[in-house]
Amino acid sequence: MSGRKIWAIAKKEIGYYFSSPIGYIVLTAFFFATGFFFWLILKGGQASMVPVFSNTIVILLFLSPGITMRLWSEEEKSGTAELLKTSPLTIWEIVLGKYLGACTFFAAMLGSTLIYLAIIAATGNPDYGIVFANYVGYIMASIAFFSIGLLVSTMTENQIVAMVVTWVVLLTFWVIGAAGDQVPGEMGDFLKNISIYKHIDDFFKGVIGLNHVLYFASLIFLGLFLSVKVLESKRS
Amino acid sequence: MIEVKDLVKTYGPLAAVDRVTFSVPEGTILGLLGPNGAGKTTTMRILTTSLAPSGGKATVAGFDVVDQPQEVRKKIGYLPEIPPIYGDMTVVNYLRFVADIKEIPEEKKANRVGEVLEMLSLDDMGKRLIGHLSLGYRQRVGLAQALLHDPEVLVLDEPTRGLDPKQILEIRKLIKSLKGKRTIVLSTHILPEVSATCDDVVIIHQGKVVAADSVEALSQRLSGSKTLEIEVKGPVAEVGKALERTEGVSGVKILSKETKGISRFEATTDGSNEAREALFNCIVKNKWVLYQMTPVGMSLEDVFMKLTTKEGAA
Repeated sequence: MSGRKIWAIAKKEIGYYFSSPIGYIVLTAFFFATGFFFWLILKGGQASMVPVFSNTIVILLFLSPGITMRLWSEEEKSGTAELLKTSPLTIWEIVLGKYLGACTFFAAMLGSTLIYLAIIAATGNPDYGIVFANYVGYIMASIAFFSIGLLVSTMTENQIVAMVVTWVVLLTFWVIGAAGDQVPGEMGDFLKNISIYKHIDDFFKGVIGLNHVLYFASLIFLGLFLSVKVLESKRS
Repeated sequence: MIEVKDLVKTYGPLAAVDRVTFSVPEGTILGLLGPNGAGKTTTMRILTTSLAPSGGKATVAGFDVVDQPQEVRKKIGYLPEIPPIYGDMTVVNYLRFVADIKEIPEEKKANRVGEVLEMLSLDDMGKRLIGHLSLGYRQRVGLAQALLHDPEVLVLDEPTRGLDPKQILEIRKLIKSLKGKRTIVLSTHILPEVSATCDDVVIIHQGKVVAADSVEALSQRLSGSKTLEIEVKGPVAEVGKALERTEGVSGVKILSKETKGISRFEATTDGSNEAREALFNCIVKNKWVLYQMTPVGMSLEDVFMKLTTKEGAA
């Protein structure tokens, strides 16, 4: 595992986001959404960041396939996959590089919300514990979305298919909790436990629960692990 | 340098590569010749570890492509059928990226990128976006990528594809200049390309090797055939004996006997024009009548005709 090679791939992805329309579309939509909810906060005179995160996580669910859909699909379609597959890279290096690229782009997006935090800190007295929990939950959920999106991207060379399938998978993981409310007994509990929605909620209330952290960490690992397996299987 | 033995790649019931065997000695250029879909690309993808074989064995510089793929990748420079380039990157940034993933030491990176740009006359294109370049330049960027880490083995899948005649000559010259230090395998469906650049040739058709030879032997078999079909009006036994005694002839086979007095013979000669003249003189001297004398049996040419007619003139 070489940091240089992983970072080289990540850099390539980051460069793409800032030279393509899709990168700017995602950025603009994100700025607009977070800006809108922050404006509502200011109007309401609250010193809280919670509405910015709790309301935009669903919007991010819809934007995240825009970030991940091309990660592998495009390599496969344009024939550049051959370069990566025949260079002295391990599949893990490729997958981690791609993932790191998407996450770094997201970090730049999310960095913009620090402005809102600065404004709130200057004008009011926010509860930093809650703010911190919000960030942790928001970041973990988002990078879990990316991990699933990357996995879907390894399975098709069509970006649009990758985008739609990622939406379907993420939305299913989101609404399955509501289904769990309707189903009695263990089955209902199970559905609630695998739902993203049920795990993200506590973070927005200011609680960092170990079970929730483990849930998102498992999603992330599973997505990356299966991506590696899918790419390995393409060689045979 | 490269050993391929009984290589098989199947897709379901279809064998894209069917027990292909060949070897490439160090410092030589091998041409893989065949129409599209013959199995050239599949063979090259297996050699470059992009694809796992279904059976058989292939080694590059002593490393097995299945068991030691990382070692093979370090030894090989590969230009796939479609150059693996990113349209949104500049030529220099692209080559720097390739340098990183091909483990070129950081301190040698800038130098090496410069060298390769010069080698391929891409100096002026360094800051251009690859997506804005013409097909010929893109192909050269693809080639630059393959040469960047100074590999011992080059695998080039139709390196002159999409180039104009002048660029084709330049690339051929470049490939020849790389010989000696490097071992090269290139694929093509153009016959003159092989004779212009390669030492040896392997002809693949429908996944199978139909011929493997040196380019010299191949050209000989193509230009001057050693076997002649001769039709003579005369007594078959006497004619046969007389032909056999002619200088430069090593064997005579009777194909058919005296239909309306004409017999058909197959004579194996040393391939020289003198032998043909001697045969002619021998027949005339005996006052027989020569109806026909035709070079035959060029199985390679037959294969070629089959290949090239399917392909259209290239």
